[in-house]
Amino acid sequence: MEKIGEGLSCSTKTEVTGELIYVQTIDDVISLFDNATGKICIVDDAGITTLSPILSELSGTVCTTGSAGSHLAIISREFGIPNIMGITFLTDDIASLNGKKGKILHDGEDKGILYLI
Amino acid sequence: MNYVNIFTESQPNPSLFGGKGSNLIKLIKFGFNVPSGFIINTNAYVKFLESSQIKDQIHQTLSEDYNPKDVFHFSQKIENLFLKSTIPQEIIDEISKQYHNLCEEAGKSSSFSIRSSANIEDSKKFSFAGQADSFLNHKTLEEILSSIKNCWISLFSPQALLYILQIKKFDVNLSLNNVKMAVVIQKMINSDISGVLFTANVITNNLNQMLINSTWGLGETIANNLIIPDLIILNKKNFQILKRIIGKKEKKSIPNPEGSSTKLVETELELRNICSVNEYQLRHLYNLGVQLENKFSYPQDIEWAIENEIIYILQSRPITTLNEK
Repeated sequence: MEKIGEGLSCSTKTEVTGELIYVQTIDDVISLFDNATGKICIVDDAGITTLSPILSELSGTVCTTGSAGSHLAIISREFGIPNIMGITFLTDDIASLNGKKGKILHDGEDKGILYLI
Repeated sequence: MNYVNIFTESQPNPSLFGGKGSNLIKLIKFGFNVPSGFIINTNAYVKFLESSQIKDQIHQTLSEDYNPKDVFHFSQKIENLFLKSTIPQEIIDEISKQYHNLCEEAGKSSSFSIRSSANIEDSKKFSFAGQADSFLNHKTLEEILSSIKNCWISLFSPQALLYILQIKKFDVNLSLNNVKMAVVIQKMINSDISGVLFTANVITNNLNQMLINSTWGLGETIANNLIIPDLIILNKKNFQILKRIIGKKEKKSIPNPEGSSTKLVETELELRNICSVNEYQLRHLYNLGVQLENKFSYPQDIEWAIENEIIYILQSRPITTLNEK
């Protein structure tokens, strides 16, 4: 397992694995509409709240900005899906993670770590 | 008045004022410092749909089956119906009257926020929250009227239409024909500092702690994850500061000097690495959190803003996610 980022674990502390998908626009959400199951979505400060329509099918959500009070964290908690906010990636090229298999682990009280497996 | 109600002269009523509006009335009754304002109630929305005769067309559009890819087209179609229709004069007259009263009360340089308040937000199982729009920093009646319409239109945004499709997969048939939108108009707080206060630690489910996110400027940067805000964890029993993590706060949202919107600007370098709330303000927020939780008899998720050292409560609702893990 290779660690690729670390941030604030803002939701349930279950360990999950899933295909990583970098979501930037609502068009990305639409193309995920019928195949979101089991995926871990990565979003950045483009500030979309548009994951809501597919959230119930995702395995996890990860965001490069925000915190426990951000809308994405709140709805991830509502759906009981692991969520990392304010993640710092060890890579600058988030798009390169697309399609790779990731795992969310939780360390201690509030740290969330994303691994490639 | 049939379509417009002033906060201070109204009783909480979610079906008339939507969840947010009804809740603000409750907060004022409890004596909390809520920016003054009024509500365009759900009767106004219904009246607009009926008088403009677009109700049937919307019903018809929504009754057609649509695919995820169709949401933009459908949304656009409904938006056009709204845009070509005019708000009935009797509703405009009532809004105009309260707008002028509020201008007088709030002072000449004031601007206003226009916030959606649907009558279905925050249902337990599926959250519609955050799907509908808010508009900030409006000054003229014309701007406000146009944003009232946009709040109504936001019920039918592509996201909302996708959301309806999604919950259908779970055999939940929510028809947007049954959803009604009230609109809250308030004096806008040009916050120096703003944030969210949870009267429980929502990331560990610890009921003996409070969690605060705070940042410079307007709070939309936190809600929409545009920045990393400061994070403070307090002991709920004795106000001890258990944790203080400074967020990067690279940008802040401010009222656009040119009006009618907000603007994202770079945060001053010297403000990025210091905590946006001081200990005195934290103490006040803590006290407010204790009071709000007591009044509502349940842990609260509170939006707050500070302008000229005065703390305003913009929203308080029950934390929806405790005891689930």
